[in-house]
Amino acid sequence: MNGMTVRVRVNSEPREWSVASNDLLLNVLRGEEELTGTKYGCGIGECGACTVLVDGQPVLSCLTLATSLDGRDVVTIEGIADEGQLHPVQESFLECAALQCGFCTPGMIMMSSALLSQVPNPSEEDVRHFLRGCLCRCTGYAAIVRAVLAAADKANPDAEGPQCAEHVSTEASR
Amino acid sequence: MRELRSIGKSAWRKDGIAKVTGAEQYASDVLLPRMWHARVVHSPYAHARIISIDTTAAEAMGAVCLTYDDVPKVRYNERIVSTPPHLYRDRQVLADKARHVGEAVAAVAAPTERAAELAARAIEIEYEVLETIVDPEAAMRPDAEPIHSSVLLGGTELPIDNNVAVNRTIEVGDIESGFARADHIFEREFHTSRIYHAQMETKSVVCRPEADGGITVWPTTQSIHNVRQLLGEIFSIPLHKVNVKRVAIGGTFGSSIQMNSVIPICTALALKARRPVRLVSTREEDIYDHTRYETRIRLKLGVTDDGKLVAGQMEALADIGAHNIQAFALLSVLAGWWVSLYELPAMRFHGTAVYTNKAPSCAMQGFGNPQATFATETLMDEIAEKLELDAIEFKLENYVGLGGTFWGQGPSVQSIVQSDGVPELLRVGSDKIGWQNRPDPGSQTGRYRRGIGMARGFHTSGAGAPKPGEVIDYSGALVKINEDGTVDVVHAMMDHGGGTLDAIAKIVAEELGVPVNCVGISPADTLTTVYDVVTHATRGVYAGGGAALKAARKAKAILLDYAARVLGIEVDALVIEPDEDLCQGVIHCPSVPERSITVGALAKLCQTNSWGSIAAVESLRQVNAPPAYVSYFIEVSVDTETGHIETRRVVVGADCGTVVNPAMAVGQLEGGLSKGTGYALVEDAQWDPETGQLASRGYWVDAKIPSISESPRLENIETYFADTYEPTGPYGAKGVGEAATNPCAAAYANALHNALGIRFRQLPITPELVLAKLRAQAGETLLGGQTAGPASAGSRGT
Repeated sequence: MNGMTVRVRVNSEPREWSVASNDLLLNVLRGEEELTGTKYGCGIGECGACTVLVDGQPVLSCLTLATSLDGRDVVTIEGIADEGQLHPVQESFLECAALQCGFCTPGMIMMSSALLSQVPNPSEEDVRHFLRGCLCRCTGYAAIVRAVLAAADKANPDAEGPQCAEHVSTEASR
Repeated sequence: MRELRSIGKSAWRKDGIAKVTGAEQYASDVLLPRMWHARVVHSPYAHARIISIDTTAAEAMGAVCLTYDDVPKVRYNERIVSTPPHLYRDRQVLADKARHVGEAVAAVAAPTERAAELAARAIEIEYEVLETIVDPEAAMRPDAEPIHSSVLLGGTELPIDNNVAVNRTIEVGDIESGFARADHIFEREFHTSRIYHAQMETKSVVCRPEADGGITVWPTTQSIHNVRQLLGEIFSIPLHKVNVKRVAIGGTFGSSIQMNSVIPICTALALKARRPVRLVSTREEDIYDHTRYETRIRLKLGVTDDGKLVAGQMEALADIGAHNIQAFALLSVLAGWWVSLYELPAMRFHGTAVYTNKAPSCAMQGFGNPQATFATETLMDEIAEKLELDAIEFKLENYVGLGGTFWGQGPSVQSIVQSDGVPELLRVGSDKIGWQNRPDPGSQTGRYRRGIGMARGFHTSGAGAPKPGEVIDYSGALVKINEDGTVDVVHAMMDHGGGTLDAIAKIVAEELGVPVNCVGISPADTLTTVYDVVTHATRGVYAGGGAALKAARKAKAILLDYAARVLGIEVDALVIEPDEDLCQGVIHCPSVPERSITVGALAKLCQTNSWGSIAAVESLRQVNAPPAYVSYFIEVSVDTETGHIETRRVVVGADCGTVVNPAMAVGQLEGGLSKGTGYALVEDAQWDPETGQLASRGYWVDAKIPSISESPRLENIETYFADTYEPTGPYGAKGVGEAATNPCAAAYANALHNALGIRFRQLPITPELVLAKLRAQAGETLLGGQTAGPASAGSRGT
């Protein structure tokens, strides 16, 4: 059953997988690699919870065959922080209260980080377009949009996007 | 009152770092040595007798198989929140008869998920297919096939006739003379849809048998203690050997109030396989496992010429699906939410809950409240229009507010309203949306028509009451002071994501005078925590936080008693001030500045002198269930050619007493808006009447929930909070969570009426429905302008 050898980098570490031809990336990550931060939400590409980066591009790991990863570079939610320093998107999600149950959060953060690497100064429309395949049932998405825009602003000191701490103090104070 | 240090200030959630780095552990993330994987075999038929099950081939593949013959013959109710006399028990670990598509009839465990899946497919089952009953009216026909012949009520066998699970009538005052006093009587029918919770995490569980005959369980649940008690009862294991661990839950919205069906199946497999077993539901399995209660509501209200409600009658038919999880409680709360919206001197409620061959219905955010509020707020808007009253004034004249009686969980949970932000909510909301400038209903003729609608509502804060009733409601907490002045809070409550445990940490921090960053929430399991009933009924902050406050006060008293002796200062003169740098509190007396001691130094002194630990455990039953009020103002634009409804602006206000964590409270309102919008406009689980299959077949693309694309832009959402203080709540707080969805659907329906002059009384209000109503309206105009409506309405005697 297992037999095909795949040489891949996972979160910067070289790995060698022995996988079956129909093994899915999601299951290899959650199983063999014990990287359970990548979530199963639907298994058929409907929800985005399993999003990871392959060579910097967001992919749905539940629809990706493990055998297609030979020679590729995979980054999961466990690998996006740099040397213990949270990624700006991770930090903004905390500052903007953009997570509740947290189950969609890994996929949202991976997709948002891909957006910022492609579009450093995204508009709200850009954020909504990029995240249209990532479902969230808790937040209603507003805080997520704020968080992604705020993360972009961290790299652009002159930007005038939403500052989450201020947002909360003005909107929720008496 | 002194300045609050932690409460009212937004802070990063304590589980936040784990959740943004992928380190948080949900049930499906638990990996154990020697662990096997389980799959469930489901009935493909909605209603069928199981003639035989052949597991030979699956066992030959090395799988451990589980059938009805293997499971304890214990009938249980999976939601032990109602008191035992009100528990209807019709469920077993595996079904003796398939009562809905997707019902578990067998299960397997194998070394890998792949092996388990192949073994599950190798099990051969012979069925005798019975009549499928999808429609609740059809289910009550005398010749309909019985879905259950009898169930256990309490401990007594209860025959089930005509598939009626339970009836309930509740009356207050004299309904006949009440309606006789009315100058106008309005009566309308409403139909609310049967939607899927769509929590992101599918129901999952890991169970490990222990060497002493006990079990350790990591489940998706809203209550670790209720799972423990049920597993102990079903598998005859004493509770000190049943340890249920709290893991994070990936959304729930009511879907895990009950012990989920996968939990005892996984437990039975683990016990039989004598090794840890993990069971993770697929999305398709999950969609077939639970749903919101679908209701048909006939609502009648009597009102005087000057706009005073005098009598009301509600008849409700609830489709409960294949199992009675909490139908009795549902009928109780449908009545309770309804009579708590507006003062009704005379009321009569009659509810009927009916079995059908569909996924079992269970609570979903608001538990009956979205249904009752949709009907009531839509009819109130219509009455205001017909009597030419301003809807806001009409509602303020009649609503249940300060000093009124609020039914927090049906007739047995009544308390007096002591905080009321409704006038402020409605005044501020109407200013923000421009209520006075809304168009006249039906006055527009162009392709795009704009409308503004409002609806108000509430949810309870817990299910506590002065008297013991039909529902259990209390929490317990342990608070202990560590030897460096930091604090541990040991609490069995689940945090569904709304920040309940963060709020509890803030409450304890505030009371003990320590920085909130130095208060830890301990990992919880049933061996080391005292009982908490369940995180439901928006009770987390009010009831769970209340218990933590009670324990913190007791710990503080112990702390100050020692401090008084150590410092030589009267106990009542001492205060604790938080010191962020020291990560602890400092105990001192402002008028004796030379004497002070840190909490940590004192705790350490207590330890080294062998005086004892500074800790306290308390249980708390709240004797009130205060309403957390919410108001919705929505502006829509309707494309009359496509039926598409654009949400142009939403203004949501909440009265949750003291706002404990503003950022998270805003998140509750924005999340409530999204789920409310889905309920109002989008979501509908349709069932094939012949096969009892979901039209979506369990796929999310066809069981649509709002995505980011359907959500309003940031600039078009506004949230705000009323300035209130709940005297019975911890630091003046009450609930917020479920309240945030309840009025949403009615606000949409009322906005659409304002735009189009058409009343919508069924959900969801899809583009197809809008177009059908527009065509009917156009036809009526051609025929001479008769008003629409399925039922009678108008002045008495006409």
